[in-house]
Amino acid sequence: MHLLTILAAGENPILPAANELIFGTIAFVIVIVGLFKFAFPSLGAMLAERTAKIQGEMEKAETTRLEADKVLAEYRQNLAGARDESNRIIEEARRTADQLRKDLQAKAEQEAQSTVARAQEEIRAERDRVFQELRTQVGEIAVELAGRVVGSSLDKGTHERLIDEYIDEVASGGNGKG
Amino acid sequence: MVHSLGLLAAAVVNVGVPIGKGLVYGLAAIGPGIGIGFLVGKSVEAMARQPEAAGMVRTTMFLGIAFTEALALIGFVLAFIVK
Amino acid sequence: MLAALSGRAGFPAPGIDILKTPCLWGTNGALCVNRVVIYMLLAAIVTVCLFVLAFRRPSLVPRGLQNVMEAIVEFVRNGIAIEVIGPEGLAFVPLLSAIFVFVLVGNLFEVIPGIQFPVNSRTAIPVILAVLVWFVFNIVGVKKQGGLGYIKSVLFPPGVPWPIYILVTPIEFVSTFVLRPFTLFVRLSANMIAGHLILTIFFVGTGYLLGRALTIPFAVPSFALAVGLTGFEILVSVLQAYIFTILTAVYIGGAIHVEH
Repeated sequence: MHLLTILAAGENPILPAANELIFGTIAFVIVIVGLFKFAFPSLGAMLAERTAKIQGEMEKAETTRLEADKVLAEYRQNLAGARDESNRIIEEARRTADQLRKDLQAKAEQEAQSTVARAQEEIRAERDRVFQELRTQVGEIAVELAGRVVGSSLDKGTHERLIDEYIDEVASGGNGKG
Repeated sequence: MVHSLGLLAAAVVNVGVPIGKGLVYGLAAIGPGIGIGFLVGKSVEAMARQPEAAGMVRTTMFLGIAFTEALALIGFVLAFIVK
Repeated sequence: MLAALSGRAGFPAPGIDILKTPCLWGTNGALCVNRVVIYMLLAAIVTVCLFVLAFRRPSLVPRGLQNVMEAIVEFVRNGIAIEVIGPEGLAFVPLLSAIFVFVLVGNLFEVIPGIQFPVNSRTAIPVILAVLVWFVFNIVGVKKQGGLGYIKSVLFPPGVPWPIYILVTPIEFVSTFVLRPFTLFVRLSANMIAGHLILTIFFVGTGYLLGRALTIPFAVPSFALAVGLTGFEILVSVLQAYIFTILTAVYIGGAIHVEH
């Protein structure tokens, strides 16, 4: 009872006055109810949302980064492939050109050789023909000459004339036919 | 004679009570004063020696101050309780 | 001479009586509404408004008031709850930040123009908070360690030879169950009473010194000191709110973690 009267009077500054205790409790209940009912739920929800958002953003950034890495690797690979391809094409072209050159050279050589061979063949054939012809003509002439020698008496003059005629004939005939 | 004795008693009460209150608080403040000074000095030393532990040292320092200060505050309260 | 000493003369120094305020409404009793009561309710409303305005429709990117209140809650979370209690402290962040802001608002009323009365210099709210803290840390301790386990860990700290318990157990009992809440509320109240008295003495003293031509030069340093002390009291207000909250956290942490 004594304590209660002291409390009610609010005499001692260390002991709380009764009215202040009552209203202080009310004030504190206001704070607790107000905060836990109206402030902290939305704060918690907001913090959770923020956490989720930041986490999502980070995950998205990570995914994007991985994707970019992949694309870069692909690009690099493509680039390397293209370089290889171009090298290959150049190499092939060089090889083709080389081959072509060699072929042409070989063909030209062959042609030249064949041309030469044909020319020699022709020359030989012509010569053979001429010889053949010459032989027949010589034979004929010899026969004719022999006939003439046999047919007419040969004096010195006639003989010389005959020989000259023969030589002339041979020369003109060989020249004319050769 | 009786009248002047009464006056003397009143004077002793009127002068003595404030002096007593002052003494109560003043004496109560000596120990915590030394203690807090010592405590903060050591904390500053610790923080200077290991700045990376400054946060922990500061928290502990405030706790120590709070506990040490309680003694002085009890003296302060006592000064009000003395009538 | 004796007669002069038996009476008071000169500057009427403001004493502890300035904390008593007359009833404005209601009878002189349990339902008396005085300035203190009004300021208590005002402090509660301001606290609720701060939180509700900041967090009613919180945006993911904080702005304005929400930024400030988030910084406070974050400070309580990282600087007090996690640092003192540990990961289990996260559950107490709402309670701790409510106590911190409520005490801070009550303290800052000391320097807010037009109010200039620290609500916590009256012991009612500190007592209520200390009782609440007493219940909270005891309930937490009983929940975590069981009734007997908690009593045992408080009264019989391990690692002490048994005869010492004769000395230690009563000390631990008094310090944990009596002195903890007592010092908790006395620390806050006494700091606020002292700060309020000092500010009042220097402001009233400035007015008193201005009253006579001879003492007017002394009014200037008195006023300057009062202004400086106002700044100091802001610091004390924040510091006391911090210490009240951190001690709450320490008590809760001590109940959660068994001391080795």
